[in-house]
Amino acid sequence: MTNLLSVKLLRDLRASWSRFLMMAIAIAVSLTAFGGVLFAWAASGRETRGAYASTEPASATILLDQSVDSERMATIAAEVSRRPGVIEATGRTQFTGEVEVNGQPREIPLQVFVARPSDPMRMAKFFMEKRSWPPSAGELFIGRDSLPLLGVTIGDTLTVETPSGEVVELRVADTVYDPSLSPSPQEQTGRAYLSSAVLDASEEPAAWDQLKIQVAGPDRAAPSRDRDAIVVVASDVGEWLERVHGLAIREIQVPTPYAHPHQWQADALLGSLLAGGAAALLLSTMLVANMLNNLFTQQIPQIGIMKAIGARSARIGRLYLVMTLLVAVGATLLALGPAILLGRVAVGNFLGFLGIEPTSLAPPSWTYLVVVAVGLGLPPLMALIPLVKAGRTTVRAAIDHHGLGSKPSAAAGLLARLSRTRRLDRGLLMALRNTIRRPSRFLLSVGLLATAGSVFVAGMSLSTGVEAITEEQKQQRNWDVDVQLARPAAAPIATVLEAVPNVSRVEGFNVAETGVAGPGEIPVTRTYPDQGHGRISVTAIPVDTTTFTPPKLLEGRWLNAGETGAVVLNQITRKNTVPDIHAGDTVQLILGGATTTWHVVGLAEEREGGGGGVYTTAEGFADATGQPQRVNQLRITTTGHDEQTRQAVAEAIEENLTEAGIEVRSAASISRSEAISAGHLGPVILILLGIALPLGVVGAIGLASTMAANILDRTREFGVMHAIGARPKAVRRIVVAEGVFLAITSCLVAVIPALTLTAVLGAGLGNLFFSAPLPFRVSLISVAIWLALVILGAVLATDAAATRASRLTVREALAYL
Amino acid sequence: MENAIQVSDVVKAYRSSAGEFIALDHLSLGIAPGEFVAVVGRSGSGKTTLLNLLAGIDRSTSGTVRVAAADLGSLSESGLAAWRGRNVGLVFQFFQLLPTLTVIENVMLPMDFAKKIPVGDRRDRAQDLLERVGVGDQADKIPATLSGGQQQRAAIARALANDPPILLADEPTGNLDSTTAAAVLELFADLNGDGQTIVVVTHERDIRSIVGREVTLVDGRIVTDESASVGVAE
Repeated sequence: MTNLLSVKLLRDLRASWSRFLMMAIAIAVSLTAFGGVLFAWAASGRETRGAYASTEPASATILLDQSVDSERMATIAAEVSRRPGVIEATGRTQFTGEVEVNGQPREIPLQVFVARPSDPMRMAKFFMEKRSWPPSAGELFIGRDSLPLLGVTIGDTLTVETPSGEVVELRVADTVYDPSLSPSPQEQTGRAYLSSAVLDASEEPAAWDQLKIQVAGPDRAAPSRDRDAIVVVASDVGEWLERVHGLAIREIQVPTPYAHPHQWQADALLGSLLAGGAAALLLSTMLVANMLNNLFTQQIPQIGIMKAIGARSARIGRLYLVMTLLVAVGATLLALGPAILLGRVAVGNFLGFLGIEPTSLAPPSWTYLVVVAVGLGLPPLMALIPLVKAGRTTVRAAIDHHGLGSKPSAAAGLLARLSRTRRLDRGLLMALRNTIRRPSRFLLSVGLLATAGSVFVAGMSLSTGVEAITEEQKQQRNWDVDVQLARPAAAPIATVLEAVPNVSRVEGFNVAETGVAGPGEIPVTRTYPDQGHGRISVTAIPVDTTTFTPPKLLEGRWLNAGETGAVVLNQITRKNTVPDIHAGDTVQLILGGATTTWHVVGLAEEREGGGGGVYTTAEGFADATGQPQRVNQLRITTTGHDEQTRQAVAEAIEENLTEAGIEVRSAASISRSEAISAGHLGPVILILLGIALPLGVVGAIGLASTMAANILDRTREFGVMHAIGARPKAVRRIVVAEGVFLAITSCLVAVIPALTLTAVLGAGLGNLFFSAPLPFRVSLISVAIWLALVILGAVLATDAAATRASRLTVREALAYL
Repeated sequence: MENAIQVSDVVKAYRSSAGEFIALDHLSLGIAPGEFVAVVGRSGSGKTTLLNLLAGIDRSTSGTVRVAAADLGSLSESGLAAWRGRNVGLVFQFFQLLPTLTVIENVMLPMDFAKKIPVGDRRDRAQDLLERVGVGDQADKIPATLSGGQQQRAAIARALANDPPILLADEPTGNLDSTTAAAVLELFADLNGDGQTIVVVTHERDIRSIVGREVTLVDGRIVTDESASVGVAE
């Protein structure tokens, strides 16, 4: 490029600085969103993987149906560690129960992980803040994020009931950081770490039911990352334990190797945000291409002159390429700082959501390169077509160019006929005709706004859909108090409790942990060490239930009243355990150590966290286990549904049951379940808003720029209008009406894409987060917001541009090149 | 000696929805180096089309156009741009100066494109050209601050930037008042006096007293070709 062309370029930039600034802001806003999320995604991925890997997670946990003593477990672990493909093996156990802090009961249960004092902590590790393993006699360690949840501080005394039923008091000696677990507040469960020495000192020594193994990878040294390979080795170990040691295996738990229990959620969250950021970026570059196209069109006469005096196409192309690149450079520089800041804030929040303490918030260096490459590369790429078109403009075409298309479009013809109607306002008709005068620009502008509007409305509608799930779950929880018994009790206990004051109804369910497998196989699940994520349980439903709403059926039928031998599986359980099974097939459930065979009568659709995954009738469960009908979960409906009544009833029920010799694990208001649900759904809503807002900003800038370009394009025309007597007010009215027509058209065009996008994204995001599509909802508030935003934006954008145009003198307007 | 411009049996047809329109109909014209020719005629007679063909802005449907020793039909768009920069100076009715460059920068720009004049000499040459056309004192102003006559003078200086053998002007006085128009034509006459080949498309009736030759077009054909001194009709 020659020096003079550089001068021209700089002066062109200065002359249209507001337009270039808008282009740079449009790209910068979306690049900030994209870059920030990319930085967060890369950094949080690195931190999560690093933190989870630092715990040396077990490849598999083999659950024994009957616990064994310490000595036998040590022997088994030693033998298993010598089995082919096994690097390491160790015995562990855990239990969950109620907890008292300094003598005060807590509603939040405590999950206690138990290891031998001599455990070398080479696998399934956790990190003590000040002390080392094991805790001293009479002490335990507590999860750091459990402190505020349980209201505990170091030095407090916790009263915990051991699996043998003995109540022990333990001093909290230190906190533990365990990045292998999901955060305590999300699960509404406290976590503690206990040496088996404490249990051994009680009347009944520790019993071990978990054999954790690490399976070798292809290099035989590092643990495997191939789940299928792990399943093969773990199943082989399980069969060996059955064959050689005569142990019944309840389940083999193989979670996704090296993936934090909430990793998928974080990945999906950041992946969705990244996609939203990329969509905003694409939209903003389309907008910039549109704006540049307008600018190039405006410069056609100048291009013609330059060619007439000897400039070649390539040189002109280079001039406008540099112009585009300068916009891209400005936008990238503008975006980098905020993107880094946004990324750091997002990493902090996401890692907090995963319960991970970051070692560094800095994103990897390659992400900077990606952001810079995208920021610098995408605008010229998107502007390539108008750029080449501008460069190739012939002198003749430039001479013939009169600023606006002279060929009337079909729509313009129709509007011309409309103008014969006497009552229609001439000014509005003219505005309508002007709006569609340049069909390509009109379509591009409408398309841009409609895209932004569609995504905005779809994003907000999906958010409404997510909220509808919470609402749906809340409505389905038509009882008030959840009671969990330590052991199943005789079913009539439920009706006895109806005599408790303020209780209107009690329903008893039997929910038993189970393993699901095909005939002759050991059940393999994806359960994580917290025994929550991926856990499968069978729910025995009472015949006269009013608190259980059968889920939507995908295949087959629901259970008949009193039916035996029949189960319904949900789609999550099917996917994770027996993916090829269909209604009519046979399945094995491991119940209380016994392998039972069932007929699958139906497959149901449930959202993640909706239920245990396997359903049968109370009669069917009793028949299969050979025991009378029993219950271990009670759903209590109270006469009043306020929190005070619920709390009072929970306490009264617990007292009644304890007096009757029935041990209660927990009795609490259902508000705890609602808190867990909200903890899991909150981030999804955040994603959707995160996607919708940058697109809204880009769309608004698009509208303003389009209208400004339309005005600039017709400067000469305004001069003519002024020359023949039009007052500035009349010109402004026409121009503002054009903007409003364009805005309304874009809203009408956006209707079908918005509905389609809501349905498609609802299915995708729903399956990703909840294993089922989101309920279809349209956010009318977002429709109103967008409509108001677009129309107001149109009025403001066009009014400013029209005011500028109306201030031009006739001479200035006519001399406009 | 070879003609500076040789147009041989040129037809230029435009297709439109209304049918084919013949703008130039088997037109032949030879212009010797140093001639000052005016092409006159009513609107739609084909005079601007002829000028566009001579400038390589448009291409003929048939026939050959040879200008400054180049067959324009054989050159690409890019080749035409380069050829134009070195061999032809163009002057337009509406001046067409680039609005964001100063007057002197507008004159220097063709030199940058053609690279015919050494870089160090360009500013001095541009200033000289502006002095020559009488707007030297306006060199550092932007075009919008100049009067129409001054802008047209600056445009002529730009057309002369690379010392082209041929100057083509399309209605150069069409946007000027009569006094200014006379001064601009006087300038053309001076340039022709220095040996410049000039072709002017114009409506001006009084131009015959200035030009050496007047070609009149009607419906794309030459109806008269009169030399001011000889007065030969073709």
